[in-house]
Amino acid sequence: MTQTETADKKTAAKKTPAAKAKAGATVTSVPEPKKAAASAAKKKSGLAFPFTAIVGQEEMKLSLILNIIDPRIGGVLVMGHRGTGKSTTVRALAEVLPLIERVKDDTYNRTVDQYVEAEEAKKGHKPIDPASVKTEKIPVPVVDLPLGATEDRVCGTIDIEQALTSGVKAFEPGLLAQANRGFLYIDEVNLLDDHLVDVLLDVAASGKNVVEREGISIRHPARFVLVGSGNPEEGELRPQLLDRFGLHARIITILDVAKRVDIVKRRREFDDDPDAFMKKYHRDQLKLQHKIQQAKDILSEVTMTDAVLTDIAKLCMNLGIDGHRGELTITRTAHAHAAFMGDKEVTMKHVREIAGLCLRHRLRKDPLETLDAGEKIERELAKVLGEAEAV
Amino acid sequence: MIAFTDIVGMDLAKKALMLLAVDSELGGVVIPSAVGSGKSTIARAFAHILPEGTPFVELPLNVTEDRLIGGVDLEATLATGMRVVQHGVLSKANGGVLYVDSISLLDSSAVSHIMDAISRGEVLVEREGLSEVHPAKFMLVGTYDPSDGEVRMGLLDRIGIIVPFTAQNDYRARKKIVNTVLGKRDEEDTRDELNMLTGFIKAAREQLPHVSISNEQIQALIQTAISLGVEGNRVDIFTVRAALASAALAQRSDVEEEDMKLAIKLVLIPRATRMPEREAQAEEMPPQEAPPQEETEEEEDENSRADTPDADAEEEQKDTPDMIEELMMDAVEMELPDNILNISLASKKKATTGSRGEALNNKRGRFVRAQPGEMRSGKVALIPTLISAAPWQEARRRDKKMAGKSNTALIISKDDVKIKRFRDKSGTLFIFIVDASGSMALNRMRQAKGAVASLLQNAYVHRDQVAMISFRGKQAKVLLPPSQSVDRAKRELDVLPTGGGTPLASALYLGWETAKQARSKGITQVMFVLITDGRGNIGLQAAFDPDAEKVSKEVLEKEIEALSLSIQADGIAAIVVDTQMNYLSRGEAPKLAQKLGGRYFYLPNAKAEQIVEAALNF
Repeated sequence: MTQTETADKKTAAKKTPAAKAKAGATVTSVPEPKKAAASAAKKKSGLAFPFTAIVGQEEMKLSLILNIIDPRIGGVLVMGHRGTGKSTTVRALAEVLPLIERVKDDTYNRTVDQYVEAEEAKKGHKPIDPASVKTEKIPVPVVDLPLGATEDRVCGTIDIEQALTSGVKAFEPGLLAQANRGFLYIDEVNLLDDHLVDVLLDVAASGKNVVEREGISIRHPARFVLVGSGNPEEGELRPQLLDRFGLHARIITILDVAKRVDIVKRRREFDDDPDAFMKKYHRDQLKLQHKIQQAKDILSEVTMTDAVLTDIAKLCMNLGIDGHRGELTITRTAHAHAAFMGDKEVTMKHVREIAGLCLRHRLRKDPLETLDAGEKIERELAKVLGEAEAV
Repeated sequence: MIAFTDIVGMDLAKKALMLLAVDSELGGVVIPSAVGSGKSTIARAFAHILPEGTPFVELPLNVTEDRLIGGVDLEATLATGMRVVQHGVLSKANGGVLYVDSISLLDSSAVSHIMDAISRGEVLVEREGLSEVHPAKFMLVGTYDPSDGEVRMGLLDRIGIIVPFTAQNDYRARKKIVNTVLGKRDEEDTRDELNMLTGFIKAAREQLPHVSISNEQIQALIQTAISLGVEGNRVDIFTVRAALASAALAQRSDVEEEDMKLAIKLVLIPRATRMPEREAQAEEMPPQEAPPQEETEEEEDENSRADTPDADAEEEQKDTPDMIEELMMDAVEMELPDNILNISLASKKKATTGSRGEALNNKRGRFVRAQPGEMRSGKVALIPTLISAAPWQEARRRDKKMAGKSNTALIISKDDVKIKRFRDKSGTLFIFIVDASGSMALNRMRQAKGAVASLLQNAYVHRDQVAMISFRGKQAKVLLPPSQSVDRAKRELDVLPTGGGTPLASALYLGWETAKQARSKGITQVMFVLITDGRGNIGLQAAFDPDAEKVSKEVLEKEIEALSLSIQADGIAAIVVDTQMNYLSRGEAPKLAQKLGGRYFYLPNAKAEQIVEAALNF
């Protein structure tokens, strides 16, 4: 499938609920011509700036890629300066994602096993032969959760149109359902309303979404890679939410003039003729997509020696990190990083490159600490590696 | 109607709007200007120089979330029994202008939605069972009075042009001119001029794709952005676009120096965080914290800097300090209080007290949104409840009939009930006013820094905010405007210079101003945490006039007393933390506490935690 096709498909898929809502309404507050303009604008916005054309910000790009390779890493929080392409990069991600297999037209993106299990669990349901279930391949979904979303749209609610026309009280899945097995992206995550944060924490912890409304009760899988971005100056992130993110990428203003000239030029080129620009990067996009898929394929073969594991544990201990989430995240991320590099054994070199990403947000906060978290991690790493003198 | 061409003065604002008219991708224009200057006039006049039929939507400050983003249209939904969509203000502005007067007073959730719409070019409506995407590509024009507070940086980052705030903007005097001129002009002249301008802009728009900018010019602009310490890379695109639009307005096909200067003036300078280094100023300037960067990058950076043979860049860099200085001087002049000692004590309004709470609550504040909830847990939001019940009426009536029950006019079930959620920034604003003068300064700063950081750590839970003012030399300075950000507070505190005189009066005045601004944004409780020995020796006038004569002790005391009483009368709580060693203390700090009606703490070796405790337990 070519990239543009993917893009078109995505647009179409995203449009359906809207189209549905419109079709149901006999009165509409929008006059005809505006509607046409709307769909045209929509199509244009469907073209995201290509991931491979983004200059710099390697830390953020790597952490996103590693999460595609192993979604169990637990997502990434991208915090940093304004106007440095945080949301552009995340939105560009969709185009390099691999495909996943799901039960055909399943709104929860379930695998055959998940589907069979859920359906058989329903009262009075006969056993289903997994072979009889039709499947399809879709790109890993990337779902945008806007700040103004209401709880019913996030969690899902009753499909009124269906209830009225056919008298069936059917569940209309929300954003959490759409995000199952995919990415859930929240821009300005540090500004998200508290009650939505509660919902997210709850679902992220259990991997399930439970909704009770109008006398029906729904429970569906909602496992997603949480991606958040924001500017720390706009406000702090709730500690529980911060802890949920596997990785923490930091992003700063690029100060290299040549790189910045390049950014300006590429942006202008894209704005002038998005199609031509996409074409130019088509090959790079495919290459990256392929590389990610390959890493995914070999991930299960990647091994790690006990010596490396011990060093990781030492590092976390020396840094005084509570719990075991630190070690676990480093281990998983290092595996994914090795796979991305095409290596089948995790070495301390891999660990070193991702340790900052994994631990930065897990260090205890000391108001008077002047040392940057990254430097502290780097220093302890060097100690563990016995390079203290060299640094 | 006052036409765009009739407005005298505010040339820079007019120029900015013209650039925006030429290239809407500049995102918008923000115009700071003093009260009563008719700043909204110019924004509204802007509508007339745009192509006919361009939407111009004015955003009311008290807009609710559903009006802003869009939601269910109650009337139509009740009439049809189907969910009918109502577009929000943001999507109504699509293809046109969204105008916000007093944009610095806009609710922070509204600001977030506007930011989101700008970065997407559309609004995602994921509410009340609706899942829609409405296009919302608009130019944002915002005007505000800087004495009301500043516009959120995140929003400014997405807007291309920020008109520098200068005395020029204050055209109270020029208003007269407008009136006189208007009296003499006939309508035909106005129409002709307006037509000419509109034609002019149309021509510029056509010229725009044919304007080119050289690599060296782009480099020079970026170099300027870096030397001014402007955050982010997005600004580069705005700067280049502004230069191109300026050249297009002049019907040129190449960007020239004047275009670049204009772009720097309108895009970069208002975002400057530092002045380009100049030797004469080097000593006075606080040490700049170098942004963290990789070494290799720095090297490359140096190289490319050396490689730039562009004379423009050099010249721009030389020019900018003067420009900034000029602008800052103007800004300071504007803030000069007319008669500070005649502060009215008549307006003794006590701030309402309440417990420190969360941002959105069920009880008080401004109604922001409705959310499902128990009927008893708060105020029922009637209309949202009706909206969610409306589509079900037919079905429920059918069910009831089948069950053999009698029908009521409206069947509302428990699930429909929506509770009002209010935004109430009832958290306390702690204003740290820290004496940075004299030899004890370093020690005091460390304590204050620790206290601010620990308070901020709790800020998320309590929704408290912290501001910080330091005073030394001639005047007090706001180091940190009200903020919840630990990062920002730390960064500001790291570069604080110390030593010099003790302008206590200026600090109190600035603290009071900061408190007033915060009040206008919904903060109800303010507390001053003064870390000082209370020994002011610089008069208030010195803050505004560097050549002011040294004032007598009596005047100093009078100033401090008048300010303290006014602050107390304004319902601001205060504690004074004295850090001076006992044998040096002359009892000024307890007196200050008394005047402020606050408490006095003598903590010569106070740890940060002790200060926090004192503030929180007060």
